[in-house]
Amino acid sequence: MRKIVDKPEVLAPAGNLEKLKMAIRYGADAVYIGGQAYGLRSRAGNFTEDEMREGVDFAHTRGAKVYVAANMVTHEGDAAGAGRFFKTLRDIGIDAVIISDPALITTCFISAPGLPIHLSTQASATNYKTLEFWKKVGLERVVLAREVGIEEIREMRRHTDIEIEAFIHGAMCIAYSGRCTLSNHMVNRDANRGGCAQSCRWKYDLFEIDGNSARSLIPEDAEPFSMSAVDLSMLHHIPDMIEAGVNSLKIEGRMKSIHYVSTVSNVYRKVVDAYCVDPDHFVFDPAWEEEIWKVAQRDLSTGFYYGVPTEKEQLFGKPRKIPKYTFAAQVLSYDPETKIATLQQRNNFGLGEEVEFYGPGFVRFKQTVRDLWNENGEPIDRAPNPMMTVTMTVDHPVEPYYLMRKK
Amino acid sequence: MIKITATAESPEQARALLDVGADTLYVGGHPFGLRLPRALGLDEIKEITLLAHRQGKKVNVAVNGLLHNEQVEQLPDYLQRLAEINADAVTMGDPGAILTLQELDLDLPYIYDAGTLVTSAEQIAFWIDHGAIGAVAARELTLSELKEMQSKLNQPVEVLVYGPTCIHQSGRPLVTNYYRYAGMSERTDKDRGLYLRDPKNPDSQYPIFEDEEGTHIFSQDLSLMPVLQDLYDNGLHTWKLDGVLLHGEAFVQIVRLFAEAREALEAGNFVPAALCNRLQSIQPQSRSLGTGFYLKDPKDIN
Repeated sequence: MRKIVDKPEVLAPAGNLEKLKMAIRYGADAVYIGGQAYGLRSRAGNFTEDEMREGVDFAHTRGAKVYVAANMVTHEGDAAGAGRFFKTLRDIGIDAVIISDPALITTCFISAPGLPIHLSTQASATNYKTLEFWKKVGLERVVLAREVGIEEIREMRRHTDIEIEAFIHGAMCIAYSGRCTLSNHMVNRDANRGGCAQSCRWKYDLFEIDGNSARSLIPEDAEPFSMSAVDLSMLHHIPDMIEAGVNSLKIEGRMKSIHYVSTVSNVYRKVVDAYCVDPDHFVFDPAWEEEIWKVAQRDLSTGFYYGVPTEKEQLFGKPRKIPKYTFAAQVLSYDPETKIATLQQRNNFGLGEEVEFYGPGFVRFKQTVRDLWNENGEPIDRAPNPMMTVTMTVDHPVEPYYLMRKK
Repeated sequence: MIKITATAESPEQARALLDVGADTLYVGGHPFGLRLPRALGLDEIKEITLLAHRQGKKVNVAVNGLLHNEQVEQLPDYLQRLAEINADAVTMGDPGAILTLQELDLDLPYIYDAGTLVTSAEQIAFWIDHGAIGAVAARELTLSELKEMQSKLNQPVEVLVYGPTCIHQSGRPLVTNYYRYAGMSERTDKDRGLYLRDPKNPDSQYPIFEDEEGTHIFSQDLSLMPVLQDLYDNGLHTWKLDGVLLHGEAFVQIVRLFAEAREALEAGNFVPAALCNRLQSIQPQSRSLGTGFYLKDPKDIN
């Protein structure tokens, strides 16, 4: 029986330490985070040195890796201190840095030799020759541009053995990453230095100039022009990605919630394992897709992997209604004798509601909240206070770090 | 000392551009060159190169696309042909193209041009280490940043002094996709004259078109005529004029004005007002001129 031993990595985003730990508990082989400088998510939670140290410790104990995104496109003066920063990352034990700016690449080589460098998707690597170039420069891995098709990846793999990382899930730039400065020109925010205002998701008039006056081309009953893309999901095509030779399967979203990161990591962990253990008898389980939709924020598509996206892969008009689930609680402990779980509240819930517990390894079950007690053991109807500790009876065993969601 | 590079859309226009004072003509075609006034074949590029060389002037060829495997396959042949017709340089931003060029070991240098990604002297230094003879600066830089960049480099940093600047390239046919959604049948090409407007900014007007490489969106037309003295004083002597959205004689006349400005600057008697007014009279009335990021304070952009 064929078996894939050299499994690709499931790489998850982690906006903070809690998300880092959750992503790893839920199956991520590696996470990527932001430091306090040189990144592109100035608004995402970014890690202090101490938090990085704790994150690396947590990850390495569990055989997982931590990468730091330093993918800013620097202007004069922005790179000051970067050498010290990279050296610190290396000394902390960070497994790689994700860079797009050649100035930062040079600095990293000089200041932190031995710290592996991954080329960010911001640099738009779209062909095998580009991969060869970066390999010669000394990079360990290239994150592909999102405009690359699956056949192109196969061909890249035939030409080069540098590690290939590719996006499998999440929001997408509608432009070639890094080649969009709409934010710069529209609102003075530098898209390549963390200021992206997502101008592509705005609505625009499309017009022509007739003589000296503008004439709109938008039909009366149509939505305005927009460039907004639906999200990427390669859930149904993980075997293609693996067989094409992708080494790291990347999930987008350092701004996303614990609920999102844990769910998506959990699903892809399951799919990758299911395929690799017996690729020739792999059967897709619809439950995986059901699970993904619980955290989906937009419609999903396969991006450029199977052809150039059409209007169906863009958002025009009213978005599709996606049932919304809320992260309601996290399991702190469980007593198998009494079947009582102790929970930390994350969103208001109460008696009579149907909730769902899920845990690492794609464990999940539905549960009606039949009883609820506060910290003093007094029965309550609802758990209204953020982070309050409550207990309730569950029908199936749970473990610490299982999460509870509700519709 | 000031070098003027201007796009050329045909051998006829090339001749006129050389006559009015362009030092270097910038040409190119599919599937390697991006956002040119016209995609030219090798025959036309050859003809233009002969014209330019006869006057001791130069021709640079755009190989600035984001190349996919298929284009990379065809690239060595194209570069060889460019070397044979004695093109003076190519512009490149794709590291795969750069590696291909280095392996061919042709008498054909490259100028680093990766659009929005060329924003510091240290970046350019990396590409100079990898063979570049100069670089094209991102349009999102301020004058003070450009000045600092150029002061750290011996190689010329090319600055756009006239023309629209590309602010977005998508691999998707964004206009076609919208037409399909809205049930419209319309052209999407460059000469159709399509624009976007941000309703929150009623004066905004962003040219948009599609071609084989996807969708391109531009900002307001740039003119640095009012501030050429600053450029000159700060060592920014390689000027680019881009006629991607302005054809024929009008563009030639604009290049002529910048050549006049150069003479005045080098003679020490540059007065921008009259030249600005003349430029205004040639510029299409429906497209206003601005100074882009050049006069902004870097601190105001975050």
